[in-house]
Amino acid sequence: MITNPVTPGIEPVRKSIIVAVTPERAFTVFTQRADAWWPLEGKSMFKERARTLTYEPRVGGEVYETSVDGERGVWGRILAWSPPDSFRMTWHPGRDESTAQELEVRFVAVAGGTRVELEHRGWEKLLDQGPASRADYDGGWIAVLDALVDACARGIA
Amino acid sequence: MAYQDAFQALADPTRRVIFERLRHGPMPVGKLAEGLTVSRPAVSQHLRVLRHARLVRERQMGTRRLYSVNVDGLADLRAYLDVFWGDALARFKTVAESEENRP
Repeated sequence: MITNPVTPGIEPVRKSIIVAVTPERAFTVFTQRADAWWPLEGKSMFKERARTLTYEPRVGGEVYETSVDGERGVWGRILAWSPPDSFRMTWHPGRDESTAQELEVRFVAVAGGTRVELEHRGWEKLLDQGPASRADYDGGWIAVLDALVDACARGIA
Repeated sequence: MAYQDAFQALADPTRRVIFERLRHGPMPVGKLAEGLTVSRPAVSQHLRVLRHARLVRERQMGTRRLYSVNVDGLADLRAYLDVFWGDALARFKTVAESEENRP
């Protein structure tokens, strides 16, 4: 799948789901009622101690979880904020910001509701760390990630 | 969480190089350290991190210890990524649609 390891084209993870609500409602629930649906107990930095998940609704705002003890764990930063159509953010929960990927979520009106289209991309960001020689990677690491991401994509095709 | 451990482990450029080399086949630590600017003990330390993240495994072959890619660990990572967004979106749908019916 990878033809040129120097300029990797790693397929984003793409998922979509149709919900029987308006784009306005979908956008609001997705971003402002996140702790009502996000499985914080399993998919969070603080696990069972995680209590809330907050999207600061503006460009530059942070997306963060808060623990029962008031600790804050940052997941990313809002890059674009266009309710009810879409938003875009950096994505690095529990990781250094230098390894941030990008998440874009679009809310498209369709018959009977809204198609929520999610794209998790920027896997190649993980290749841009530090001064290590590109030649040393030999393209293999890229191929591994590509295989993983491609498997995800197939699962939702 | 296997996914986070793997990303943390591979965020380090030296560890990525070590991991890459092992993809060509099992190797002892001395061979892995060849041409790297870090010391052999440092390579051993990096290997410990990769093993903890289940990306690399260690085998004793006679008097030598060989390191290789842990295929089971990669399967963990793939499985995690595969369900990651699917689970979350399914829950989102349930909540969004139940909230729509609220008075």
